[in-house]
Amino acid sequence: MRTERYLPYALIAPSVLFLLFFFAWPLLEALLLSVRGGGGGWTLENFQRMAADLYFKDALKYTLLLALVVVPLQVVLALGMAMLLGGLSRGRDLFLYVWTIPLGISDLAAGIVWLAIFTERGYLNSLLQALGLIEQPQLWLSYETPWMIFLAVVAAEVWRATAIVFVILVAGLQLIPKEYSEAAEVFGATPWQRFWRVTLPLLKPSLQVALILRTILALEVFAVVVALGGRNLPVLAGEAYYWYNAYQNPGVAAAYAVVVLGISVLATLVYLRLMRPRQEEAA
Amino acid sequence: MASIRVENVEKTFGRFKALNGVSLEVRDQEFVVLLGPSGCGKTTLLRIIAGLEQADKGRVWIGDRDVTLLPPRARRIAMVFQNYAVFPHLTVYENIAFGLRMQKVSPEKLKANVERAAALMHIENLLGRYPAQLSGGQRQRVAVARALAVEPEVLLMDEPLSNLDALLRLEMRAELKRLLAESRTTTLYVTHDQVEAMSLADRIAVMNAGAIVQYDTPMRVYQEPASVFVGGFIGSPPMNFLRLRVEGQRVRLGSLDLEPPAEVGAEVLLGVRPEDLEVYPAEQPQSFAAQVLVVEPLGPHLLLTLNFAGQAFKATVPPDFPAAAGQTLWLRPQPSRLRWLEPGSGRAFATG
Ligand SMILES: Nc1ncnc2c1ncn2[C@@H]1O[C@H](COP(=O)(O)OP(=O)(O)OP(=O)(O)O)[C@@H](O)[C@H]1O
Ligand SMILES: [Mg+2]
Repeated sequence: MRTERYLPYALIAPSVLFLLFFFAWPLLEALLLSVRGGGGGWTLENFQRMAADLYFKDALKYTLLLALVVVPLQVVLALGMAMLLGGLSRGRDLFLYVWTIPLGISDLAAGIVWLAIFTERGYLNSLLQALGLIEQPQLWLSYETPWMIFLAVVAAEVWRATAIVFVILVAGLQLIPKEYSEAAEVFGATPWQRFWRVTLPLLKPSLQVALILRTILALEVFAVVVALGGRNLPVLAGEAYYWYNAYQNPGVAAAYAVVVLGISVLATLVYLRLMRPRQEEAA
Repeated sequence: MASIRVENVEKTFGRFKALNGVSLEVRDQEFVVLLGPSGCGKTTLLRIIAGLEQADKGRVWIGDRDVTLLPPRARRIAMVFQNYAVFPHLTVYENIAFGLRMQKVSPEKLKANVERAAALMHIENLLGRYPAQLSGGQRQRVAVARALAVEPEVLLMDEPLSNLDALLRLEMRAELKRLLAESRTTTLYVTHDQVEAMSLADRIAVMNAGAIVQYDTPMRVYQEPASVFVGGFIGSPPMNFLRLRVEGQRVRLGSLDLEPPAEVGAEVLLGVRPEDLEVYPAEQPQSFAAQVLVVEPLGPHLLLTLNFAGQAFKATVPPDFPAAAGQTLWLRPQPSRLRWLEPGSGRAFATG
């Protein structure tokens, strides 16, 4: 009786300790770092320096814009792919594997793949030249055209990380018994109505997970941006890196990290609230 | 005009033949019950009629339309699913309203139909709840109400009352029968419950192993089973079958001298229902003797298990009948209720 009561706690204790040690503690350290001055007292100096920095506004803008463009695009694409996959009776696994290949590629490698396409002597210019559309190789990814870099990053991110959303949604779709869709069909729902009125509402838990996960990861975007644009397209995670490494100022770097954290928490809360499953629905 | 006609439908799942050339016609406004043991293909047949499953062979007609290739929503039917399939993300009200919303009926009609269907199934106090907050039987009634609300011409029901308590089932059964007769709905109704089948059906289609073995009015299915299977499946206790020798075109059973159909072989099965045996404590003319093996008091009557020449069979007697194990009794079957069957195939001989 006694051991049974304490056993669950004993079993989860190692993982809790692990998380506390490797996540909670560094998190706390970073928070403290961001609000501690050189003398050791409490200060908002780091945040003020961050906000006054030339790059801060752009970094914030581009980070939010990227998340705003990339995440919905990925969810819509992944949803479409998952629905298409559900319509297959044969070769389902083959498509699933092919579509999830990008999951195996690191984000830096993905950035470099797309750099090879967009760089001055890259595949895109070679192709356009071969087609006779341009005379000279174009400079696509320069500081003068941040929007080009932005689009290249969007393309790379969509290509690289849609698969994770896709996998979550495929798993979610498989959990929905097909009888609901069948019942809807018998009662006269068109495929479109079945999707909107039955499949999508029942997929809400998986959508929520995918959205939270992807939004948090999108707010941390770094390697792809560095590979494609360097600091020509500043983002928050990148700035934290530069302040820590190049400027040797962990305090401001920590302030950036805290901003990313704050936005992530806010976004998660918004998702949880907007897509809250009504208590009564829980089966 | 909304009859259902199924012609020679075959369906194979992998290597397993679930339907083996099924033909069935349900007339306009008729109430037909599909009755058969678990796994005989009832749900499969219903799903093929609904269009949720494609037959390998054969055609399906609803009214004068060949719907074999039409999708479910074009078939204009309603269905109660065996596993309910009540939408978990919609309230009871919205579940019942689902079909009406798809048909884009006016808000007044929608409200009226939903409320009427809910009242009929006694779930009007549950309209605001979600399915997760309902019991199995309540969910099942939502599924029935959802089908009734659309006022279909053709209604397919797959064991719609299976999860209700005996009293409620009795009541719902009567109400369904009244409602569907009033609305002149053509109904195909699946059940395991033979009492339900007998009470509801204009005609019963008895299925076994992917085929329809008898399709007739309840009384005829009961009294004149087409085979040993039907006689044994319908009736509780089931029909008795005594294996008897044929000698010179006569069959002797105690002091009974019976004339089997002309085409019998050396042996024949005599089918007789337990309640069609008159039981006497003393010897009678035109009767046969048997030993009592077991006496089971069932309330309205006693169920006797008896032994005749090494074959066990059952008979029912009034509750005050003096019977005890080991006793010898004399039985006289009602001559008009005898059924002759072929021992090899189990099929009944045509009655002359
Ligand atoms: N999708 C399927 N794949 C493989 N076999 C199936 C499938 N659906 C049904 N079967 C098989 O077909 C046979 C008939 O199934 P069906 O569901 O029609 O039975 P049923 O008469 O409705 O039984 P019950 O009374 O238990 O509901 C069963 O043996 C079942 O195992
Ligand atoms: Mg079934």
